[in-house]
Amino acid sequence: MKLYKKIRIASVALILFAAAITGCTKLNETLGSNLNSTQTANAVGAAGVQLLLNAAYVDLGTPFTAQDHVFSLEENSTDESLVPTRGPDWDDNGVWRVIHNHTWTAAHSQVQSVFESLNKLNFDATNVLDFKPSAAQAAQAYFLRDLSLYFLLDMYGQFPIRNPGDNLLLAPKVLSGDSATQFIITELTAAIPNLPTSGGPSIATQNAGNTLLMKLYLNRGMFANRTSPTFADADMQQVITLGNAIINSGQYSYMANYFDNFNATNSGSTESIFAYANTSGVSANNSGPDAFWMMTEHYNQEAAYVPNAGWNGFSTTSDFYNSFGAVTPLTGVTNFPNVSAINNPDTAVDSRLGGRYYNGATNISGQRPGFQIGQQYDVNGVALMDRKGNALAFDPTIASNMIETGSNLEVTGIRVPKYVPDFTKGTTYYEGPSGNWVQIFRYPDVVLMVAEAKMREAAPDNAGALALVNALRTARGAQPMPSIALVDASNVDDPGTMLAERGRELYWEEMRRTDLLRFGVFNVIWQYKPTDAPMYDIYPIPTADLSANPNLKQNTGY
Amino acid sequence: MTTTRFLRVLLLCPLLLIMQISWAQNTTISGKVTDDKGAPVAGASVLVKGTKTGTSTDATGNFTISVPPSAQSLTVSYVGFGAQDVSISGKTSVTVTLTTSNQNLNEVVVIGYGGVRKKDLTGAVSVVGAKDFNQGGISAPDQLVQSKVAGVLVTVNSGEPGAGTTIQIRGSSSLRASNNPLYVIDGVPLDGRNAEPQATITGFGTTPASNPLLFINPNDIASISILKDASAAAIYGARGANGVIEITTKKATASGGMKIDAGVSYGTYAGYMKKFGVLSSSQFVNALTKYNVPNADSPFINGGHSTDALNAITNSTVTQAYNLAISGGNENGRYRASFYASDPQGFIKNTGLDKYVGTFSGTTYGLNKKLTIDFNLVEGNVGHTFTAIGNTVGSQGDAITAALQWNPTFSFYNPDGTYNQPTTGTGNPLALIGAVNDRAVTNTVLANISGSYKILPNLEYKLLYSINNSAGSRNTNYDGWLSGYSGISGLGLGVIQNAKLNSQTFTHTLTYNANITKKLHLTALGGYEYWTSQYSANAFGATGFNTNLTQQTIVPVLYTSMLQDGNTQFLPFTYLDPKIEIQSFFARAILNWDDKYLLTATLRDDGSSKFGANNKYGTFPSVAGRWTVSNENFMKNSKVFSTLAIRASYGITGNQEYPAGSAEEQFAFSAYNTFGQVNVYNPNLQWEQTTSTDFGFDYGLMKGRIYGSFDYYDKNTTDLLYQSQAIQPAPATSTWQNLNATLSNKGFEFSIGANLVQSSNFSWDIGFNIANNKNLLTNYTGALIQTGQVNGQGVSGAFAEAIANNEPLDAFYLKPFQGFDNNGNQIVDSAGKGPVFAGDPNPHTLYGVSTTLRYKKLSLLINGGGAGGFLIYNNTATSVTDISGISKGVNIGTSAYNSIEEPSSAVEASTRFLESGNYFKLRNVRLQYIFGDVAKVVKNLSVYVSGSNLFVITKFTGFDPEVSIDKSNGGYPSQSIEYAPYPTGRSIAVGLNFSL
Repeated sequence: MKLYKKIRIASVALILFAAAITGCTKLNETLGSNLNSTQTANAVGAAGVQLLLNAAYVDLGTPFTAQDHVFSLEENSTDESLVPTRGPDWDDNGVWRVIHNHTWTAAHSQVQSVFESLNKLNFDATNVLDFKPSAAQAAQAYFLRDLSLYFLLDMYGQFPIRNPGDNLLLAPKVLSGDSATQFIITELTAAIPNLPTSGGPSIATQNAGNTLLMKLYLNRGMFANRTSPTFADADMQQVITLGNAIINSGQYSYMANYFDNFNATNSGSTESIFAYANTSGVSANNSGPDAFWMMTEHYNQEAAYVPNAGWNGFSTTSDFYNSFGAVTPLTGVTNFPNVSAINNPDTAVDSRLGGRYYNGATNISGQRPGFQIGQQYDVNGVALMDRKGNALAFDPTIASNMIETGSNLEVTGIRVPKYVPDFTKGTTYYEGPSGNWVQIFRYPDVVLMVAEAKMREAAPDNAGALALVNALRTARGAQPMPSIALVDASNVDDPGTMLAERGRELYWEEMRRTDLLRFGVFNVIWQYKPTDAPMYDIYPIPTADLSANPNLKQNTGY
Repeated sequence: MTTTRFLRVLLLCPLLLIMQISWAQNTTISGKVTDDKGAPVAGASVLVKGTKTGTSTDATGNFTISVPPSAQSLTVSYVGFGAQDVSISGKTSVTVTLTTSNQNLNEVVVIGYGGVRKKDLTGAVSVVGAKDFNQGGISAPDQLVQSKVAGVLVTVNSGEPGAGTTIQIRGSSSLRASNNPLYVIDGVPLDGRNAEPQATITGFGTTPASNPLLFINPNDIASISILKDASAAAIYGARGANGVIEITTKKATASGGMKIDAGVSYGTYAGYMKKFGVLSSSQFVNALTKYNVPNADSPFINGGHSTDALNAITNSTVTQAYNLAISGGNENGRYRASFYASDPQGFIKNTGLDKYVGTFSGTTYGLNKKLTIDFNLVEGNVGHTFTAIGNTVGSQGDAITAALQWNPTFSFYNPDGTYNQPTTGTGNPLALIGAVNDRAVTNTVLANISGSYKILPNLEYKLLYSINNSAGSRNTNYDGWLSGYSGISGLGLGVIQNAKLNSQTFTHTLTYNANITKKLHLTALGGYEYWTSQYSANAFGATGFNTNLTQQTIVPVLYTSMLQDGNTQFLPFTYLDPKIEIQSFFARAILNWDDKYLLTATLRDDGSSKFGANNKYGTFPSVAGRWTVSNENFMKNSKVFSTLAIRASYGITGNQEYPAGSAEEQFAFSAYNTFGQVNVYNPNLQWEQTTSTDFGFDYGLMKGRIYGSFDYYDKNTTDLLYQSQAIQPAPATSTWQNLNATLSNKGFEFSIGANLVQSSNFSWDIGFNIANNKNLLTNYTGALIQTGQVNGQGVSGAFAEAIANNEPLDAFYLKPFQGFDNNGNQIVDSAGKGPVFAGDPNPHTLYGVSTTLRYKKLSLLINGGGAGGFLIYNNTATSVTDISGISKGVNIGTSAYNSIEEPSSAVEASTRFLESGNYFKLRNVRLQYIFGDVAKVVKNLSVYVSGSNLFVITKFTGFDPEVSIDKSNGGYPSQSIEYAPYPTGRSIAVGLNFSL
């Protein structure tokens, strides 16, 4: 009896044990919040492809709205912008100064983050193509991918490219040189007919596609030979044809007030061809472009409504400011202590300089968008002070080595809040995000590209170019130019050039470096850049990315 | 659902069984236990021989035990003494004299899935019993063994109560941020994560992570085993590579009725253990003159008061802790229940950790005592109150940086009683502390039940089921009256976060324990385990509230109680981690030939849902041998060695601490109709593998009065898990990969203990341990990885450390500092060559020392320890207390003031801020007086006064050289960086313990 019981219990135990072992799990991993690709194909379906496409659109935010991404590489590396080290502030181990100095290395954090954020756009756009998009969705995905490839090619001289469905653990192929330009042109040209013809600047329309195509044709000669670019007549004809089609479409016109293109309600700008959308107070996947004014404003500007609205960093060079012409003395255009002075006495001065009363900003905070020089005032016309109790009067002179040490280190440098701070909530506290749309392609750029191509075509049409430029200048309240040259190689900021006109219209819009390269003057010496070498015409492939993909080749000199 | 029912039934059964305990006609035996010098031995175990019925001696060495009529003798044992059997037949009282033996080889050591006799131990296992634990100010179990075990670095990350700990057993063997060992409590492996949500508020940085073991009552722990080498840890296979910490909780030993142990303590803080040097108000005024600060007379620069912000933010209220344990049982079953309540206030105002823990454990027998059912239940409720102290804050938003920078000539308050909130600097630290209401409450249940059945006298089957459920919620409120903070000022901010962590374990084991021949003993173990765990979280919040926007109109209603009032609602966020499943088969055999030659072989086969499809299972073997030389005939009469044993082991362990889902292709939804790929399919992803070799010997001299061990080890970790640079174009900047490189840790450990004096009136014990470790990454061909974020104004994007080939992990990598120019500006990297490798943040030497002095009923316990051979990067001095502050009217550090630097000098991260980290810390001192039994009811009364963190000897100029602020970058850990940490307070407590 006892033995029987023993055996019975032992057997039960062993059975339990065996059952546990044989009943084991297959250890297949199921995701909690996320989906795998099969589930993705099933769950999002045809309509859901739009969600994947939306993700690619959202990818525009990081590279194009942060002060330390494309803005830094395209603007701080030029005469248009620099970030002096202000005593304890903004040294950040020299990251800003080396960009302006042209002494960066492959380990530079911004060089890496731009490469990666543009490739994220490349990736997400490519991925859309793997989920049976409609023709219009596929065309938009191609456009977004081509936009990222254009910027990668411009900055790094090469780009990695994957086909939809490729094994992501394998290194993708890399295109460089003219075959890279041709790849983008071919892909984009095929996609454009399927792009939507309307829908506003926040989606890739055919006009957006054609603008990107113009940029590819215009810069093709520069991409092929950065030290001495030459421009094929066929490419210039393409630029003129594509540009004229946009101009003649009648869809775009110059805004009455230049800064209305950059304020918090600029979604209705009639100059906007392609833009990154934002909504005031709504964090639709991004934080809005408030960095564009915070990075340049002094700490004490608008302190009452927007705490820490100013980071007191980015400035422009006085030489660039002077490219607006002799009518604009370095003391600044207008310094009205009188806030009610809505009408400016100097209407003949180029309105793109700003510094004037701006409804919606000056009447709320005293802020005047555009270039800020000299004493700044609050909303009541009271002169502002810096944190040390000195007059908050921006001084155009920056230390030659960009390291500010004097007692005025907080106020050196001309400031450029081109995007108008978002005061759509009036005098209540700014909560962010800002509603300003980020202008990626603007109509005047198309006009100026056509004008430039006319000057570069085999039989240059300088008169035609000048007419386009002067029509734009008139719209901006600037005097017409009697004549125009392409560039003055001895002075990049010579006011009488097409390069200067592009600077005056498109300053701080993330394309100055490309322009300087195309005009062959990126290596000349300018303010606060004592030396240079041709290797800096191309950014290096970031060290980390170079080691991840053996198909990438480090650019010469790095 | 079935598991819940199963659990319910299993939990009820033992309760019923206990209630059925029959009360036979027992007799009572009383006795006294002393050591060989006649001194009473408190806490000795007294068992009825051959049963689990027993009790323990009180502080005077006395015991009484109720024994069944059948009992013939008692077994008396205590750690450090040889066990003794005494006959009780016909006696009512006995006196037992134990002989000292620190080589008590029959003592059972917990080594995973059961215990082994110490004499059967072949691996490097260190055991610390309750009597050797650190005392005072303990919020988590790992602090109990700080500096107690050679080669184990336990760094409490900051002085905050409940702060996380960084534990490295024999050096750092991972590139990842989560590098902690596996915790096993009473046989249940834990997840290692924590359900307490971490808060990251824009502008305020991320609050530090908390210790995941806060739900344990330190008074419930009987012993902690640390499995250091592969021989010991390989039984935990893919989770054992960083070592294993096994915690065994106290079980009832009493018989013959209920025993109640109670304790109460009161504590407070007595200032900083070490204060960061900043200028006093008079020094500050002098500095204004010295540096020719413009407008020095303006009230923006010189407020005319004299304040000390570092003192003002500290707390000295009395905190209390209560502890109660009830235990009892007889030969049919035992039970123990304990309760713990404490409300430690933090050293900084408005912070703290309140803790309520209840446990219930027991054992009952059935089926002719062939069946043993054990159960343990721990329920811990931990409330954690935070203030604005973060790891990675920039230029403002941290109470510590605000206190360091507070202009000492400013008053904290305006004449009307409101906070003075000057616009310069980082803000008023008291206002910051007052405006933040941030509290997390985490409820953790750890329950396990096991049934063991003796199929044959030598063969036992055991089934263990456990559930560990933890739910945390956190309500974070930042009042809108706080001025100068974008997104907070004038708006207010409220965020509610919830997190859940649920783990379950099923373990089946078969144990065979027999003498094969007269001389050959075999202990064999085979088992199967299934472990699963899942984490989920959600968060929602709002800003733009209508209340508490001015200091004059504050109402005591938290934003998180009325989020609907916020004008702007944040997008709600929910997240469910992939479920982790691990199933394992394991086996272990220990062969003992005549107590001279021992061999242990272990094998574990682990499958994990986290591993890629091509590598679902990994095999982890180990083998170890031991030769007990002192048991050989030629050594038996040695006058020198009472014990000498030589050990060697080799084995492979794994590590799989990377996020679940890393091997899978993943697409994620995010806000506003977007959906995109976030992770790349990687079927090859597998565990990280550590191969280790250990040689050691254990020794005992002078009849065991001097004892200790020595170990040399060599660990090599390959297939390192790391977040590799993704191949662009990619969905994310990095993906988890197994890196083809080797991270090696080589070193030695030495420990020695001695009973220097042993007499009936006076005894003096001393223990010392020291370890040396060298860490190096080799065969790494990837790009240098920067880590160790340097934070603060002017150093955005700067890093202090790097992971690179032929360098120790996280080696300092900084631009060289080259002094000052004629204008007092610092010269950094004048050649423009960039950063250089500048030293090692990994301590090379760890040591600990402890001593116990006893004179009659008075005893003094002193524990200390330290580390050496490493550098600390002082990020606080770089960008918080730097010289530039003086010209803005904020305070600066005394070291900045005493340099020739001028305020115009740029802020730069450089080798200038590397400091020697060498330190010795007096961890705690406890003076205790034992009254013994003071009345018929009150027994074993003792009172004590104890102090923790009393002083530190170091040249480091920061708050505490034992610091590990999480400055990781992209998941790569940082080490030894100080950045305005929660400071360490010197704490004092008095308490009393007694039994009923």
